[in-house]
Amino acid sequence: MAKGKGKGAKGGRSAFSGLSVVASAVLLFMVALPTFITLTVGLLPSMAAFIFDRSPGRTMARCVFGLNFSGVAPYILELWQVPSQTVGSATQQIFQPLALSIMYGAAGLGWLLYLAMPPIVANVLNLSAQRRVSELRKKQRGLIKTWGDSLIKEVDRSGN
Amino acid sequence: MAEQAEDQEQDVSNGAATESVMDAPGGGAPAPAESEVPSEEEVEVSTGGKSVEIGNFRVFMDLRMPEFDMGHCKAYSADNLRRDEGSAFAIVSDPVLPTRQDHINFLTGMHMAGQIDLLDYEIAYWPPFGRRTMVLFYEKPAGGKVSAKDNKKLPIDEHDIATVVVEPLMSVIQAFGEKGLAHRNIRADNLFFADASREKVVLGDCASGPPGYDQPLVYETTARMSAEPAGRGSGTTEDDFYALGMTLAELGIGRLPLKKLSDQEVMDLKLSKGSFQAIASQEKLPLVLIEPVRGLLCDDPEERWGLAELNAWLDGRRTKPVQANTEKRAARSQNLAGRDYYTVRALAQGIATNWVTALVPLRDSTVEIWLRRGLGDNDRAKAMSDAMRQLQWAGTDKRSAEDVLIARSILILDPSGPIRFKGFSAMIDGLGFMLSYDVQHGRGPQRFADVIVRDIPSFWFARQEGYSPEVQKHQQLYKNLRYYIQQQSAGYGYERCLYATVRNQHCLSPLVEQEYVVDIGELMPALEKAAETASEESWPVDRHIAAFIATRLEDDVEGQLMAMQNPSDEVEYSRAIISMLAIVQWRHGPDNLQNLSHWVSRLMEPAIKVFHSKARRERVETEIPKLAKRGNLVELYNLINDEQERRKDQSEFVDAVAEYSEAESEVFDLESSGPARLEMAEKVGQQAAAFASTMIALLTVSALFLMYIF
Repeated sequence: MAKGKGKGAKGGRSAFSGLSVVASAVLLFMVALPTFITLTVGLLPSMAAFIFDRSPGRTMARCVFGLNFSGVAPYILELWQVPSQTVGSATQQIFQPLALSIMYGAAGLGWLLYLAMPPIVANVLNLSAQRRVSELRKKQRGLIKTWGDSLIKEVDRSGN
Repeated sequence: MAEQAEDQEQDVSNGAATESVMDAPGGGAPAPAESEVPSEEEVEVSTGGKSVEIGNFRVFMDLRMPEFDMGHCKAYSADNLRRDEGSAFAIVSDPVLPTRQDHINFLTGMHMAGQIDLLDYEIAYWPPFGRRTMVLFYEKPAGGKVSAKDNKKLPIDEHDIATVVVEPLMSVIQAFGEKGLAHRNIRADNLFFADASREKVVLGDCASGPPGYDQPLVYETTARMSAEPAGRGSGTTEDDFYALGMTLAELGIGRLPLKKLSDQEVMDLKLSKGSFQAIASQEKLPLVLIEPVRGLLCDDPEERWGLAELNAWLDGRRTKPVQANTEKRAARSQNLAGRDYYTVRALAQGIATNWVTALVPLRDSTVEIWLRRGLGDNDRAKAMSDAMRQLQWAGTDKRSAEDVLIARSILILDPSGPIRFKGFSAMIDGLGFMLSYDVQHGRGPQRFADVIVRDIPSFWFARQEGYSPEVQKHQQLYKNLRYYIQQQSAGYGYERCLYATVRNQHCLSPLVEQEYVVDIGELMPALEKAAETASEESWPVDRHIAAFIATRLEDDVEGQLMAMQNPSDEVEYSRAIISMLAIVQWRHGPDNLQNLSHWVSRLMEPAIKVFHSKARRERVETEIPKLAKRGNLVELYNLINDEQERRKDQSEFVDAVAEYSEAESEVFDLESSGPARLEMAEKVGQQAAAFASTMIALLTVSALFLMYIF
């Protein structure tokens, strides 16, 4: 029951955030169509990531979105700096190869970051564990040196 | 004579002394048929003028004095080196027969009318034996032996016997009785004239062997005569009075009464007719001695003459009449192995000698019916029936139960007699001496152990009527014996029984047996000597030494004996042995025992293991040789038994074990958590990447926003 409730709450939250995104998009479409076009085209990789990433927490989509948005944000600001925002200027700006490269490249960097980070963390943890094992072995050797074989026998005996 | 011997004196320390043997340990024992008794010719070989100094005396080994031989012990001429007047002789005890400590202590240095003076005693090396033994020094009686062998002439006039013999012997019996002792060696063969005028006699030795061991069978009461010579028991004053009666009979007759009869015939005759009738029917007693002999040979100890009756007789007063034979005779006989028995005591002896065939009449209740109908003794018949009933409850060991039934039946028939069990026959107060004899004459302790394990003495105690402090004392001792024999470990077993029951038993450990260690104070010097040749693997404490120490030492060593129960625990075992030896040295010295200390130090390796710390062990190992050189076992023991240091070592060791185990466990966790770590790394890495990406986005937007504003 509680599980069902939890699932329902999560689903509700997700539906709400999805709805709020759609509502924001509709509002943006109605109020600032050039910005909407720029965002829609620029954030295409992020949208794809959100669609395909079904993992809990959607970390990959978040990675891609973060850097993808960083790539799109300068062009949004550039668009806002023009006094008369038109669909034409927006499409002209966005379909420049450099602009698309920056936006999609940034998304790609996000994806690479997502791929590269776990091995790095794993290496750090392994190195730390090895250092600890080495410290402990040194300590054990010191104890055997002081107490002799009887220590091992006693440990074995108490272990049995 | 002394001068003559002086001229012939040689150094006895050379090997030649042991070659010409006059006797051998156990050689003098006359009674047991299985002991190797050298003939008189063999023991009379001269050793060629040798003498040996023992304490304050010089003993001449080639100057035998056969007239002063006392039972199984040989007499030798001796000179008192500290005193000119008087002459002495030495009695060399048989090292394989225990002496009587209470008697030696009582008699040494004391003059008692009627008893030969025991001047001194020493434990010394006796070259003919090639080992140490106990030598007793007596004042030589001036008048010589009373009854010379093959001399049929009455040595003392029958009318003088009262003053010459009875009076001095009465005073001896009285003096011994006051000390709670019995002489147990009163016989005509052991009488000497105290002076040349032959007016008084003195009794000879009574301390050089087990009580009653040298007595001819006829001198033993009907209760004790069926016991083996070594197991006749310490006895009581009543037994001495009986022996006095027989002594008077022998002096009156001029030879040993019933000499022509075999031991078995003497026993049968005494059992069937009663002691006095047995003598009177076969021998011609002087008229004047009939009354005292009848009174003293009464088979009922309650009725037997004592000091009061003898005094009355000496004063010429009439004494109470004594029944000649107090044994109840059955109306019809009980047949056993082809012989007819009419009295219970005779039947008891018959059962003991026909152990296997006796079972049938006991099992089919023939004996019980005989007791009830033939003898009219319902009490005994009921006891017999109870014993039979217990046989029916016996478990799987039927054979053992049958043996117990026979032994109990004997005790029902003859409750004051010896404990008899499959050839073993010893009085309750002679169990220890019997065990000693068996162990030292090749029979081993098995017979004694069988008797104790099957709890036969308990039945003997149960059959005793009335209260007797002596019986109580024996009962208490027996409880301990049973406990000792049931324990298997060192310090208990038959060895402990032996030393607990025979005060003067020397330690029979192969390590020190030749040294004849009777006193605990002599043990350490003997072990010191043994250490010179001891093998490296052997321990200085074996079962005999452990039992000897446990019995003779004033201190309680039960803790050490407990630790010795498990020889596989080398640490505790070696510590217990070192501790035991250290206590003995601390109590009795000597201060320097270098050889023994080196021996012990070689065996201390397991004890060093008591310390866990390598540094502590190394320190102890360096200390041991230094202390061993000083010959002090107490210091050696203290080195491994520093309680504070041990506790500290133990506590630190426990901490170290815990620390090691913790580290091991952590290492195990770290080494076995690889896949889990990878999983975690992936999760954390992804989250970190998402976080970093979000932060980059925030920073970019913030920066652009700021740029837009400014």
